[in-house]
Amino acid sequence: MTSVGVVAVSHSPALAEAAIALALEMTATGAPAVIAAAGTADGEIGTDAARIAEAIAEADSGDGVAVIMDLGSAVMSAELALEFVDPNLAERTRLVAAPFVEGLLAAVVRAAGGASLAEVAEEATGALRPKTDHLQSPTPDQDAAGAASAADEPPAPSDASSATATVRNVAGLHARPAAVIAGAVASFDAEVTLLRDDHAQRPPVSAASPIGIATLAAGPGTVVLIRATGPQAAEAVEHVRALIDEGFGEEPAEGQAPTGAAAPAPARVDPTPTGPIGVSSGRVVGPAVVLRRTVREPSASDRVPEDARDGAVSLLREASIRVAERYRERAASVTGQRRTVLEATADMATDPTLVGGVEALIRDGGLTPTRAAWQVSAELAEQYRAAGGLIAERATDLLDVRNRLIAELRGEEPPGVPDRREPFILVADDLAPADTVALDPAVCLALITEQGGPTSHTAIIARELGLPAVVGYPEATSIADGDLLLVDGDTGEVVVRPDPAAQATATGVITLPPFEGPGQTRDGHRVLLGANVGAPRDVARAVERGAEGVGLFRTEFCFLDRDTEPSIDEQVGAYREVFDGFAGQRVVVRTLDAGSDKPLPFLTNDDEPNPALGVRGLRTARRHPDVLERQVQAIARAAEGATADVWVMAPMVATAAEARDFVTLARGAGLATVGVMIETPAAGLTAVEVMREVDFVSLGTNDLAQYTMAADRQSGDLADLANPWQPALLRLIGMIGEASRDTSGTPVGVCGEAAADPDLACVLVGLGVTSLSMAARAITRVGARLGDVELVACRRAAEAAVSAADPAEAKAAARAALG
Amino acid sequence: MSTTISIDGFTAWLDAFRTRVTENKAYLTELDSAIGDADHGSNMARGMAAVMDKVGAAAPSTADELFKTVGMTLVTSVGGASGPLYGTFFLRFGMTAGSVSECDGPALAAALRAGLEGVVARGKAEANDKTMFDAMAPAIDALDSALASGASLADAVAAARDAAAAGRDATEPLVARKGRASYLGDRSAGHLDPGATSTAMLFDALAEVIAA
Repeated sequence: MTSVGVVAVSHSPALAEAAIALALEMTATGAPAVIAAAGTADGEIGTDAARIAEAIAEADSGDGVAVIMDLGSAVMSAELALEFVDPNLAERTRLVAAPFVEGLLAAVVRAAGGASLAEVAEEATGALRPKTDHLQSPTPDQDAAGAASAADEPPAPSDASSATATVRNVAGLHARPAAVIAGAVASFDAEVTLLRDDHAQRPPVSAASPIGIATLAAGPGTVVLIRATGPQAAEAVEHVRALIDEGFGEEPAEGQAPTGAAAPAPARVDPTPTGPIGVSSGRVVGPAVVLRRTVREPSASDRVPEDARDGAVSLLREASIRVAERYRERAASVTGQRRTVLEATADMATDPTLVGGVEALIRDGGLTPTRAAWQVSAELAEQYRAAGGLIAERATDLLDVRNRLIAELRGEEPPGVPDRREPFILVADDLAPADTVALDPAVCLALITEQGGPTSHTAIIARELGLPAVVGYPEATSIADGDLLLVDGDTGEVVVRPDPAAQATATGVITLPPFEGPGQTRDGHRVLLGANVGAPRDVARAVERGAEGVGLFRTEFCFLDRDTEPSIDEQVGAYREVFDGFAGQRVVVRTLDAGSDKPLPFLTNDDEPNPALGVRGLRTARRHPDVLERQVQAIARAAEGATADVWVMAPMVATAAEARDFVTLARGAGLATVGVMIETPAAGLTAVEVMREVDFVSLGTNDLAQYTMAADRQSGDLADLANPWQPALLRLIGMIGEASRDTSGTPVGVCGEAAADPDLACVLVGLGVTSLSMAARAITRVGARLGDVELVACRRAAEAAVSAADPAEAKAAARAALG
Repeated sequence: MSTTISIDGFTAWLDAFRTRVTENKAYLTELDSAIGDADHGSNMARGMAAVMDKVGAAAPSTADELFKTVGMTLVTSVGGASGPLYGTFFLRFGMTAGSVSECDGPALAAALRAGLEGVVARGKAEANDKTMFDAMAPAIDALDSALASGASLADAVAAARDAAAAGRDATEPLVARKGRASYLGDRSAGHLDPGATSTAMLFDALAEVIAA
């Protein structure tokens, strides 16, 4: 094997030393001779040709020397040095026109791999390419040229081999893994190339070139195509595939466990999120649907010429018929009350009063069909509201008809979360909890938003629904409806109109086998593992994932996105649907948690200066006790005759008195097991008093973290503070666990995101938590982790985590204690 | 008046050059601070002090040995670009002068010309790049033409000195195209080039020694 030496010439001895240290870090095996020639003889800043000459002689072992210089006199001194060394040595010394740091890294890495002097020099000379590529996006022309050459590729020779591998390690194919790959391929008699699957139009890079590999900029989750030709092509491909798939022994990225069984990613803690961030695992392809909040008001001044008015009227009639058809299609896909409502709305779309009124404005006034529809429906809605009662409630439906009609006439997607039966990827500025009520994870494949950080609602919703998601994607909403998208919720990558090769890299959402209970530690300490359920449609998934009942049944779905309170009957039907899914199991129902980020027009005040600290959760009953009373009645009626063990709890409780009032109300309605959520530090600090009033408590760790740390959980900038591993939060939970023991074992559940983190779940159990409720998809992992450790280890992990200085230390200490 | 320059003369030349760069250390550095990294004066003073430490007490007896020592000393002690540039100049100068104890006018001119060529090879400078070349090249041209027209060595070297000074002054309006000053672009105009200035001192020193 050749052994090329490297000389680093710099004005500054400190710079040369640091750069050499950096370069040597990249060498996996057998570092080459790297000699510094920096500073003047008396240690001043400068270069010294005589010293460089000595360094060249020192670095040489007969295979030549690559000299990497910084600037100015370094170059001249190095040239002069060549006059001082033995002419034969000068002959095999290359002064390389490379950037100092990058060139030195490239030369050292390549020399470590046994490359020839020419290869080392070439690698160093091209060392600026990754940075150049990174900072300059290729022009379309270059891409086109690349595509053409790829298409013209000759057919693969018979000794060719190929495979794909997914990058697992958190840092991706950076310099060190690149060096490992380059070093590995050097030992095979094969020409190996690498190509990103999603950049199929670009030329492949040589796997012998660390710099080339680095230009792939392949982050975790990237699928890399490995191709080789030559006698040992198959062996080389397999070796490289294994290296990449095994993650180089580095820390795997979240959701990229090297075993290949990728797991869902918990919230990443990124204190300064910039650019797109993957927040929920999975890599999928689908057409974009851009969420529109409202329909633009049509121009009032546009006029349709007389001779075109018949045509305009025909367009309107056709559009109204299509809108009605869509309503009927949706009606057919649902049952009960929703079906009746949708059928009635379908009739409204072709109602003679509406359509006739619009026709008249087109024919007589020359208004455009969109403007005419806008005006007529505005007038009708006004009349509906004036009529009051049940008629008034239809005004909302009428405006929905109007929006859909105008969107249909414009060929746009109607506003609001699209109701589709074909799969799509939802693109939005940001998503509110209300938006997701209508979101069906069976047809919505992924989420992309412009706003939001790792702990934003979109991220939480996405993980809850098990949808891949990317947040913080600039100008997401300028993506056109129907554009095909490739979304990677691990890497944050979004490709608009991916080519077929890129599309083929979609791996979907990887799922683990369902959980097989019961939830318990290895030594048999029972911990109920339930699912969080946000709507009846989540039931099937929770059951399928092996949930032991429901630890959090959110009832907002009944209330959000509407102007009036649902009737008791409507509520009973909806709740019963969920209870029936869990015969013989526990279902913990949370009463309406409106306010703050989930406003309701009939219940909450939307001009609070501090909504998170305002009238939300149980507090809304201060002004509207009747809404809560009716809901509790509906829950009690739905529980009658159901075989599920129905528990009920109130959100956002701060005092024992509030807890007592709620218990009185719920027991009065006939509910047997009544509890409260502990989301405020106040309730946590008085947990003993609160527990004396209730049958159980459940910790909403998201809110408890937000209020304990005084850090908005939706703020990406404060994600490190709102981290559930904060020792302050864990100590508070520990106090609640103690209160449980002091009150003869009041059950303590956790239904926040913390329960879905396997290590944190064990810590929570160690702190005294008796049940965990989480997104259905997380149950398998949490159950497996818990079943792997003994209760005493959970307690040790809890002790270690609460005494840690910060979340990272808490996590590391807990992991160490869990083993 | 001498028609040759001996080893002692060379040593006196180097000492006179040392005196000039030392006395003008602050001035050269000030020139360099306007368009470079403010080290030319201190670098040259340090380099020439090291040279005189080496050769002042016991100078080698031949020109090639003497100037090899000078060149290598400058190379290892100056640090900045003037190290390899002046170092190359003196190394080539000595190689061309050869193993002799004195040089006549044409031999001196040939050695200086070789030194200039070394500077060009090292720095890749051309006329009007605002470098030491702009003082050195006209000086050696003037020396050659004076010797060719039969002038005495002293007159020829005086002509070289004047040409070097004129070349130095001509660098003031130029925009630098080499070295760190080139990063300044147009802002480098309006300043004398420090390298050309020290080169003019080199020829001033030579003229003084020859005239003595």
